[in-house]
Amino acid sequence: MLEVLHALLFSTLDAAPALVFAALGAVLSERAGVVSVGVEGMMRVGAFCAAVAALVMPTPLAILMGMLAGAALAAIHGFLTIRWRSDQVVSGIALNLVALAGGTFLLESLYGPNGTPPIQQLSRWDVPGLSSVPVLGALSGHSAATYLALALPFAFQFLLARTPLGLRLRAVGDKPHAVATLGLSVAGLRWGAVLGGGLLAGLGGAVLSTAVLDRFEQHTPAGLGFMALAAMVFGRWTPVGAFLAALFFAFGNALRIGLVSSAPGLLELIPQGMLLALPYVLTLTLLTLQGQRSSAPAALGTPYEQESR
Amino acid sequence: MPERLSGILPSVLSVLLALAVCWGLIALTLAPDTAANAYLQMLWGGIGNWPSYLEGAAATVLTRPLGESGMKAALLTLTGLSVAVAFKVGLFNIGAQGQMILGALAAALVGAHLSLPAVLHVPAALLAAALAGAAWAGLAALLKLYRGVHEVISTIMLNWVAVSLVDNWLVIGPLRGVAEGGQSITGTAEIQATAALPRLLGDVSRLNLGFLLALFLAVAVWVWLQRTRSGFETRAVGLGAEAARTAGIPVARRTGLAMALAGALAGLAGAVLVLGTERRYPGTLGAPYGFDGIAIALIGNNHPLGAAVAALFFGVLRAGGTRMQLLGVHQTFPELIQGLALLFVAGRMVWLALLRRRTAATPAPANAAPPTEAPRA
Repeated sequence: MLEVLHALLFSTLDAAPALVFAALGAVLSERAGVVSVGVEGMMRVGAFCAAVAALVMPTPLAILMGMLAGAALAAIHGFLTIRWRSDQVVSGIALNLVALAGGTFLLESLYGPNGTPPIQQLSRWDVPGLSSVPVLGALSGHSAATYLALALPFAFQFLLARTPLGLRLRAVGDKPHAVATLGLSVAGLRWGAVLGGGLLAGLGGAVLSTAVLDRFEQHTPAGLGFMALAAMVFGRWTPVGAFLAALFFAFGNALRIGLVSSAPGLLELIPQGMLLALPYVLTLTLLTLQGQRSSAPAALGTPYEQESR
Repeated sequence: MPERLSGILPSVLSVLLALAVCWGLIALTLAPDTAANAYLQMLWGGIGNWPSYLEGAAATVLTRPLGESGMKAALLTLTGLSVAVAFKVGLFNIGAQGQMILGALAAALVGAHLSLPAVLHVPAALLAAALAGAAWAGLAALLKLYRGVHEVISTIMLNWVAVSLVDNWLVIGPLRGVAEGGQSITGTAEIQATAALPRLLGDVSRLNLGFLLALFLAVAVWVWLQRTRSGFETRAVGLGAEAARTAGIPVARRTGLAMALAGALAGLAGAVLVLGTERRYPGTLGAPYGFDGIAIALIGNNHPLGAAVAALFFGVLRAGGTRMQLLGVHQTFPELIQGLALLFVAGRMVWLALLRRRTAATPAPANAAPPTEAPRA
């Protein structure tokens, strides 16, 4: 029993970082009032660029390239929605479509249908003394991405809740006019949040192709960006909440994959499709129960116009 | 600049720019002359190979590509209409994909398991698909109206619920079809011949009644929005729910019905795919037609006829995409053109600012910013 739990925890922690980073990126952007439906596209671009870069440079540097690629896509989003006040959902969907088709085109014309050649995975670290402890030992033997994903949400939560910058970020998502009244730049704060969100989403994608897999595949990230949105909503737009939701979804996924290989009989009773639908059904249920008291930032999706009230 | 022109011009320029950028992309990644060749193949694959027809080839070099284009255009028109109708009432329907999945499944089931004469079977399957799509969209509308759940989030979630339940369970599980030999097949059981949408040109192309149905619905939606009371009220709600409520318009009912209509249109897209070409619910829908609908609606400036024109254009490109495969360009390449066009259309304000600078020499009208019917997300 302990061994099963150990294996489940291990694969959860192994696969979760991509989802955690993307969810944090979505939280950052949306808390500043900019909808981030484009997180799936940013992940895809990050995953692609990291996988291609890792062919010629050390993996950590390649991950940085993936992050920058995610931020580049976010910059287009920022240009359209902050500079030109375009619809934020339209821009995000457009970026998703471009990343989906563009990734397929580049992959096929450069490497053929089987994905990029395998790359050097991010190295794994053993926590001394921990690997022999039952269950807790699952914390050992992951890549740096996992440990970062375990620490970053709390740092981000501190930033958002306890620092002047965090207060400004939250304010710009709830009441941008108040921020402007204080003489701060609404556009500047939103630009920062959108670019930061792009870096995080790109990191999520990069981790997917350098730590979880060892290449970029045609369907990467296969809807993980939308699951990150679900985690963000489920975590009530807070970093730690989104982190816990992402861990929970990743655990559910590990459980499902574990069941497929070890207890296929159980899947006769509970079909895989139902398990796959569970994160989304849970998110919908939560939203239904919360109703109007939803914790979405008040000015989410509203372009900022100085003259409007 | 006249209002109508400022509605159309950004879309046209966006599509042209997207075509140019994608041309450059092929030229850079493959070879410069591949780009010209690939675009030519895409054109012949979409509108038929006229040069070889004029040189005496059989008429099928025209009818087959045109049939494929018409088929793709029908699907894009229907999902595009679905998104456009929701926009008109002020909602962003990202859920056309999920609604289409439900519609396709309903059509496949009614088509396979009911026995009716053809005059009844086709309408019954279409109706089932429309109802299934409407129900799935209605769920999002109910959540919006009674619980204040934003439709963008709820329709995204409903998409994935539909994909998970239908593609990953029903179609490979309880509803999986069985071939005559007894071995199971991909997708649901084949529909009966009476439920198939009749082919318009017989065996020479796959063009079917779905194409005419889509065009008819585009005109019908346009007439409804422009010429009827309920259509007017629907647009009024989209332009300002509070003002509409003050004017005595039943806002909740208009919102709910418009969203249900949007779902029904997406559901019909699923039916046209199943009854027209696939003849069963395949393993997956094959392309994200529901998301394409967002691009089609916005490139068509949220106008039902504009969406139909955009769908015809991209239907031709999408059908031609398969011919590009011969040159090492992936067949989904037209989707990249379409996505980029959407991105450029999203920058409508940029286009209008550029165009205004051009016409600045002439005295500008007092209200320089033309009213756009962008959705309030």
